Amino acid sequence: MYQRERERERERDYREEMARSTGKDAQALFHSLRSAYAATPTTLKIIDLYMGFAVFTALIQVVYMAIVGSFPFNSFLSGVLSCVGTAILAVCLRIQVNKDNKEFKDLPPERAFADFVLCNLVLHLVIMNFLG
Amino acid sequence: MAKLLLYLTLATSLIPLFSVAFSPENPTDRRVLVLVDDFAIKSSHSLYFGSLTSRGFQLEFKLADDPNIGLQRYGQYLYDALVLFCPSVERFGGSIDVASIVDFVDSGHDLIVAADSNASDLIREVATECGVDFDEDPAAMVIDHINYAVSNFDGDHTLIASDDFIKADVILGSKKIEAPVLFQGIGHSLNPANSLVLKVLSASSSAYSANPKSKLSNPPSLTGSAISLVSVVQARNNARILITGSLSMFSNRHEKSGNEQFLTEISKWVFHERGHLKAVNVRHHKVGESDEPAIYRINDDLEYSVEIYEWSGTSWEPYVSDDVQVQFYMMSPYVLKTLSTDQKGHYSAEFKVPDVYGVFQFKVEYQRLGYTSLSLSKQIPVRPYRHNEYERFLPAAYPYYGSAFSMMAGFFIFTIVHLYSK
Repeated sequence: MYQRERERERERDYREEMARSTGKDAQALFHSLRSAYAATPTTLKIIDLYMGFAVFTALIQVVYMAIVGSFPFNSFLSGVLSCVGTAILAVCLRIQVNKDNKEFKDLPPERAFADFVLCNLVLHLVIMNFLG
Repeated sequence: MAKLLLYLTLATSLIPLFSVAFSPENPTDRRVLVLVDDFAIKSSHSLYFGSLTSRGFQLEFKLADDPNIGLQRYGQYLYDALVLFCPSVERFGGSIDVASIVDFVDSGHDLIVAADSNASDLIREVATECGVDFDEDPAAMVIDHINYAVSNFDGDHTLIASDDFIKADVILGSKKIEAPVLFQGIGHSLNPANSLVLKVLSASSSAYSANPKSKLSNPPSLTGSAISLVSVVQARNNARILITGSLSMFSNRHEKSGNEQFLTEISKWVFHERGHLKAVNVRHHKVGESDEPAIYRINDDLEYSVEIYEWSGTSWEPYVSDDVQVQFYMMSPYVLKTLSTDQKGHYSAEFKVPDVYGVFQFKVEYQRLGYTSLSLSKQIPVRPYRHNEYERFLPAAYPYYGSAFSMMAGFFIFTIVHLYSK
């Protein structure tokens, strides 16, 4: 009888400790991520900000379509795809410009930026056409 | 000699231009052929014939079996209306028979048929062609033991009085007929499925149709107000037919009754002196313009107008009513609108073309008791939007336009920041 009570007490203590440690682990992980992110160069942070803006705009449009309906569907696609395309091109630029990336070590950042600009021009041409 | 012949042909060819009878501009009948059993009717019914001639009708009296009578010659009708005051005729003379009478009515001319207690099968057949059925018993007359006329030679109560008139001012005139109508003859019944026949004078509910000289062995087939004493038929081509079972109703005998007023008024209606409508000047145009386009676009605003006149016996008067409707019709009416009138015969309505394209018709179907039926139809196509008639920018898509342009602006700002930040 006493044995079972002690067993249950031990189980409860064990679970509490696990929870606390998971919580502590999550917090530790979060802190380490933040401090690691603070170490990234400003250029990349600007690109991340730009990308966040694009994704946020895309989300707003999806919510609007869910409320109002998809009547001018071409306009909806054009708006969402402009945001998504912008985000993708920003990601590509970030990969190519990052000095810590071994794969693109020999690619000059000016070349990456020029590609980025040209692709954006094509993207916006297509978007304007499809917007209606 | 040749010159004489030339002048003669010229003169005869101009005669049709001088006839004023029965044209669409002047719809009252003018030349009336009256077929009688014997010419004594001319004097015994002189009051009725006098009232007709005083209104300008040209009556021509012929015996019913006269071998020279004919309704048409060389394809042209000689008369505008036919009056059959010959209840006992067995066979018409000349070229008249039931088929030619039916053709006469089918071509739009009017007819008055008066049977009597000795009505022949021929007259009954004419009446059946027109849509009423006289009582099959040849000796039957309408008897009413409650509403009979008190007179000297009474006894079998066959001279009955009735005031069960149809309630239509256009048929019986606006003045109320005060005295009852005296009737002595056979009664007829109407098929309830027939929508063109109207009972103008029905017998009272105590009347029945039976042989007055013999005892009743079984109940009479025609009783009560199902017996019609005077009926009219307005055919779909607007020909008017009056059928009654008593020739003596028209005679001079009944002085203080309502016969004279009743017969005068109903003859006015039968001969198209009243209740004859014409619709002219059908026009439609877009609101704001005045000429008639050949095609409309969906969601256009348009206006339809028509002028309706009623013949007063001598001239066309504006017809005033508030229930004329126009339909915008393609297989079924998409728009049904009541036309508003300016009290001078001009009717108009404004409505929006429906959101369906195709070939529509402006239809006016006007059928009212006692009036000629108007059936107007004008075809007009309706087209959809051209590709440049749609809205350029949809308000529902403004967020998407905004996001596309904001992405472009963001890209521009980002390139500046990216290039010029260290």
